[in-house]
Amino acid sequence: MKPFDIVIVGGGGAGLYAAMEAMKTNPALNIAVLSKVYPNRSHTSAAQGGANAALGNKAKDDTVEMHIFDTIKGSDYLADQDAVDVLCSEAPKIIRELENMGTPWSRMEDNTIAQRPFGGAGRPRCCYCSDKTGHTILQTLYEQCLKKGVIFFNEYFALNLSVSGSRSNGLIAMNMKTGKVEAFPARTVILATGGYAKMYWNRSSNAAGNTGDGQAIAYRAGIPMKDMEFVQFHPTGLRKSGLLVTEGARGEGGYLVNKDGERFMARYAKEKMELGPRDLVSRSIETEILQGRGFDSPAGTYVHLDLTHLGADLIKSRLPQIREMAMNFEGVDPIEEPIPVKPTAHYSMGGIDTDNQTRTVMEGVYAAGECACVSVHGANRLGGNSLLDILVFGRIAGRTAAEEAGKFTQGRITDAELAEQFEEIRGGMHASGRYERYGELREELGRTLALNVGIFRESSLLQKGIADLAELRERFKKVRISDSSDVFNTNLMQVLELKNMLDLAETVAAGAYARQESRGSHTRIDFPVRDDANWHKHTLATLVKGNVTLAEKPVTMGRYELQERTY
Amino acid sequence: MTVSTDQHKEGNKEVTFRVFRFNPQVDSKSYFDDYTIPVERGVTVLRSLNYIKEHIDGSVSFRAFCQAGICGSCGMRVNGLSQLACTTQVWDVLAKSREPGVIKVEPLRNLPLIKDLIVDMDPLVGKMVHYSNWVDSTMPEAQMGKKEFLISEEEFLRYDKATDCILCASCVSECSILRANKEYVSPAVLLKSYRMSVDSRDSMHEQRLAELVKDHGVWDCTHCYRCQESCVKSIPIMDAIHGLREDAIESRGKNDTSGSKHAEAFMTDIEKKGKLIEATLPIRTNGVVWTLQNLLPMAMKMIMKRRTPPPPPLVKSVKGIKIFRAMFREMTEHVKQDHKSHNK
Repeated sequence: MKPFDIVIVGGGGAGLYAAMEAMKTNPALNIAVLSKVYPNRSHTSAAQGGANAALGNKAKDDTVEMHIFDTIKGSDYLADQDAVDVLCSEAPKIIRELENMGTPWSRMEDNTIAQRPFGGAGRPRCCYCSDKTGHTILQTLYEQCLKKGVIFFNEYFALNLSVSGSRSNGLIAMNMKTGKVEAFPARTVILATGGYAKMYWNRSSNAAGNTGDGQAIAYRAGIPMKDMEFVQFHPTGLRKSGLLVTEGARGEGGYLVNKDGERFMARYAKEKMELGPRDLVSRSIETEILQGRGFDSPAGTYVHLDLTHLGADLIKSRLPQIREMAMNFEGVDPIEEPIPVKPTAHYSMGGIDTDNQTRTVMEGVYAAGECACVSVHGANRLGGNSLLDILVFGRIAGRTAAEEAGKFTQGRITDAELAEQFEEIRGGMHASGRYERYGELREELGRTLALNVGIFRESSLLQKGIADLAELRERFKKVRISDSSDVFNTNLMQVLELKNMLDLAETVAAGAYARQESRGSHTRIDFPVRDDANWHKHTLATLVKGNVTLAEKPVTMGRYELQERTY
Repeated sequence: MTVSTDQHKEGNKEVTFRVFRFNPQVDSKSYFDDYTIPVERGVTVLRSLNYIKEHIDGSVSFRAFCQAGICGSCGMRVNGLSQLACTTQVWDVLAKSREPGVIKVEPLRNLPLIKDLIVDMDPLVGKMVHYSNWVDSTMPEAQMGKKEFLISEEEFLRYDKATDCILCASCVSECSILRANKEYVSPAVLLKSYRMSVDSRDSMHEQRLAELVKDHGVWDCTHCYRCQESCVKSIPIMDAIHGLREDAIESRGKNDTSGSKHAEAFMTDIEKKGKLIEATLPIRTNGVVWTLQNLLPMAMKMIMKRRTPPPPPLVKSVKGIKIFRAMFREMTEHVKQDHKSHNK
């Protein structure tokens, strides 16, 4: 493969914005985007709600400063305040830029971009396109990349960075269509592969491919992961698939009911009931389930989200998507029956440690989007800030890499390295004799994470989780790939994804075990309060000689002092 | 073991999935493999395929990503109809299966086969590029991000539905023109082209249209409506195709291409007689020379078999032609008005 100036891994919002911006910054550069799916399939498309920006279209008195404060408070003060400054200050410009490029935003009466209220925001500043915001943003970016002639390597599965000392030589990836392991020598690499919440498997709302590939690649190359213990759980995932039933269902008046027919939220949030904040509702459902008041089924214990009292008309007019999803994925019509739900892993706040310009500790390697942890979300992300994150920091990554590519010499990747990678993925995993099924390991990974590193965490549970993960890693060595084909071996890809999840799961569990406090999405039963004196800091997890090693990093403060987080 | 869910409630059905198989490395031709599994209500075709892959045969290959009907990866033909495997209920399909208890799963048509249920999407992307399926903004790049275009809700609604398209390629697979001509633009690309052309921020409407009226373009569609019927997002794709054609005639004139001439000949005949004057249709569409060069042998055969359409003077108007004409004029007027308000 000819050498590139920039290789971007991932074709979602962050990766595509990075590509566009890099081309704009320096049109002479050789830039490639690798993606394991066609870019328009990326999980950015699943974001429904919208992207926050203090445009002031809906609330004239909204300001960037208010957006900054809401984000810092929402993060339970773990976000770096200088990074949040960047995120929120860039927001209006980037939303307008997308608008200028053709994103079909819904409109206000005065023909400006429409905005709506969102959780944790003091003003209605979430810009949206119906309930398909992420989809339309992704389409726009993909179209614009095609217009600019961005070079895509679609359906390439990234395997590892090629590293010499403190710098990267580029990327090694498998071409899914041929099964060949190919070299992408590059001056710079931008990792933009999305989140890792799918490690909770069917207790996750994520796409099947959100397996933390970029993070795992960086982690194996010795780059630290930051705040991995922070995983956001959404209260209402569908029982069988973990797919999301949006907050709108409760907003319209849906009840949460346990197996005794009781609206249990009365116990946890007397006034707000079902409309309490996300983390609180998730913890409440989990408590009901743990205390034996859930419904049992082979697909897991669950509670009911009951909409039947709302009537057919309201459900059909206001919640058509939810009805369709309940029918498609649970076989339940919410007009007639309650929907079986349980909390679902939704978003990973943690990720590759980067500075505000998306640089990692490794020369020439950058990371952006859910894959990275700048950190702008801290211990808890606000709705509408994830799309914003990928756009703002995707663009910064593209610009920074384009500006700095000249600083680095062109990396080289040897044939021996490729042969070694090929051997590792194709030679080692055809165990004979007693073997393990990857599907089973994946299920067990999700189960142990949900039970032991889930919503409620506690010392002994976490120890159990860590032990389970070690055992799963052992068993993984005997995993068998039953498809021996070179062409589009999805079996092999799923096994490699499982390996990435297993690698990263250790960092999530280790961070959760170390952090002896409760902050944002991280709830320790044995340490129920936020402990600023000892834990107002980031955790860094680095792979040292095959073991996860923890360190810490101070939080960058700014204009806002620590306060108690109440709503 | 079942494709997991509530056994206590609904019970299971034994379902045989007849899966199309082809691995170019070893197979000289495709074949089908049967996998019989118990499936309960609420389980989708994709979940069943996942189950087969994890528990029975890891080599069964298909794409899947979001598994929630938004990414468009898992388009395939289920009992002959192109759709998303992730939003298709097994029990619903079963109720309509020709062979009881059997569901046939095949790859999408009209795109090159890679392996099993996986087809190559590159030709579709290539067409999106060829027909400039992007907004070429009137805003210069240096000015971007400074201010919003002011767009009415009315304009937004014009392309709102079209932007639902997830490029699953179900319409591509069902398209009857593509079966005969792989170079044909494709319904999805026409839909996207239309979406761009009604966007006031776009500056290359005319160049895009100029490409669309050429061979393999918008005039090749025969209105079979299969694209629209198979659309997993229920997008009125044919409205987009008609929209582009109306645009083409409006901005490029009636005599622009054989496509527009053909459409115009239809209009004239229908208004005059209430039906087509088929004998002269090829001449009016493609001219005398082309017709003689291309259709003479066929015409001779038709004469031999006495299948020729009557010559124009013998074509009688349909019954009640006066009332029909009035209705026809009223309708065309409506369409014109609609079109005007669209292009405001």
